Parts: sequence; structure tokens; C-alpha cells
Amino acid sequence: MRLLSTLMRINLLMFGAVADAAGTREAEVEVAEGLTAGELVESLKAKHPGLAGQKLLIAVDQEYVAASTPLEPGCEVAIFTPVSGG
Amino acid sequence: MSDFYELTTDVIDIVSVARRVVPPECGATVTLDGYARRFTTDKATGEVRETEYLVYEAYEPMALKEMAKLVERAKVEFEISAVGIVHRLGRLEIGETSVVISVAAPHRKAAFTACEWLIKELKRTVPIWKKEVYADGEAWSEGDSVASA
Repeated sequence: MRLLSTLMRINLLMFGAVADAAGTREAEVEVAEGLTAGELVESLKAKHPGLAGQKLLIAVDQEYVAASTPLEPGCEVAIFTPVSGG
Repeated sequence: MSDFYELTTDVIDIVSVARRVVPPECGATVTLDGYARRFTTDKATGEVRETEYLVYEAYEPMALKEMAKLVERAKVEFEISAVGIVHRLGRLEIGETSVVISVAAPHRKAAFTACEWLIKELKRTVPIWKKEVYADGEAWSEGDSVASA
């Protein structure tokens, strides 16, 4: 648990099945400073039960990142299911 | 001759894509025409579903960056001279082209190999999603993937 954490703003983008489950495609959210990409995904899953058990990918500022990557203030975080173009 | 990668909501003219990658030092262009199929088999249940139409969406700026990386990697990996990729977004009717990949090479073998590699990688890394719309519902298609959370 983080105590006395300061907050930072990030820009959250969602696509496809994630956007449908969350009911929104874009949100400016306040999160604890130092939150990791994976922790953000977990909080999103907790908030939207439709995402439980879903394999999700994360991109920060348009590059794929690992779940352990800490988020920076003002970054653009995109969360989505495995891609299915082609 | 320069490479290109584009996203469009317009109908893709396959010939015009293919003819944009014909450098004079080459002798062959291999072009993939990926199009919207009518029937899909559910990976989990084996059930065959009939699709009425498809909707593609993309995380556009990242999709373009990932397409650029693919082209760059393909040109290092294979003996090819030029690559053009165009992916359609929005609603597609059955039979309409969703993706065109054209690869020009001095000799055809490298162009075939690179084209196959490019579509495989595109389906794995480029943030584009396909929704299948049926008579009685819809479902986002889920791909195999790079990194997971």
C-alpha cells in the first residue's frame, strides 16, 4: 500500500473490447505517482468486471510496455486486447 | 522509390498500391490482398459463424509507428527494395479488401517471404482490431500477441 502518495494525471485511451467494457474510449484520470502500467490495468479490471480474465496489452506514449513499467505524469496510456488487424 | 504505410476508410485500390512499388532495379512485386471473409470459426468452440460485415478500428498514431517499424525490419531482414502497406478502417462489407501489402524485390523469392512475414507481424503487433457483426450479435476478434500485462 502506498501512503501519502501524490497524484498525477494521465491520459487513458481504450480500444475495441476494452472501450466497450469501460463504456468510454478516453479519460483523463488521476492516479498515484509511480503507479505501474500493470497496476493501472488491475484497477481498470476491478472497476469493469467485463474485463476480468481478459488478456490486455499496454502502450505508453505509443510504445508497448511491460506491466512493471512505472507511469510518468502526463503520459498517454493505451489499454487494449491482443490486436486483430489484417 | 520510397516505402509507404497508410490507414484509410476508403475502398483500397489494390492495383494502385501494387504499382507504387515498382522500382526499376526490381523485377517482381508480390501483393497480398486480405479481404473480409464471410465465415469464421470460433477458436474456442469450433463453431462456424456467418459474418454480415466487419468494423476495423485502430490506435492510429501507434499503428502507423508499428507499421513503420515492420517495414524497417523487413528491409533489414530480406533482400527487398520497397514495401507498401495500406490498411482499411471502419465498416467493410464481405469481400472488400482490409489490407494490402506489396513488396518489391530484385527476385521474387524474397518478396514472397517478406510479404508473408509482414502480414504475420502486422497481425501480431499493429494496434488494429476487427469486430465481426453477425445477424444476432457482434464480437471483437482477438489476436495472438506481443507483450502481455
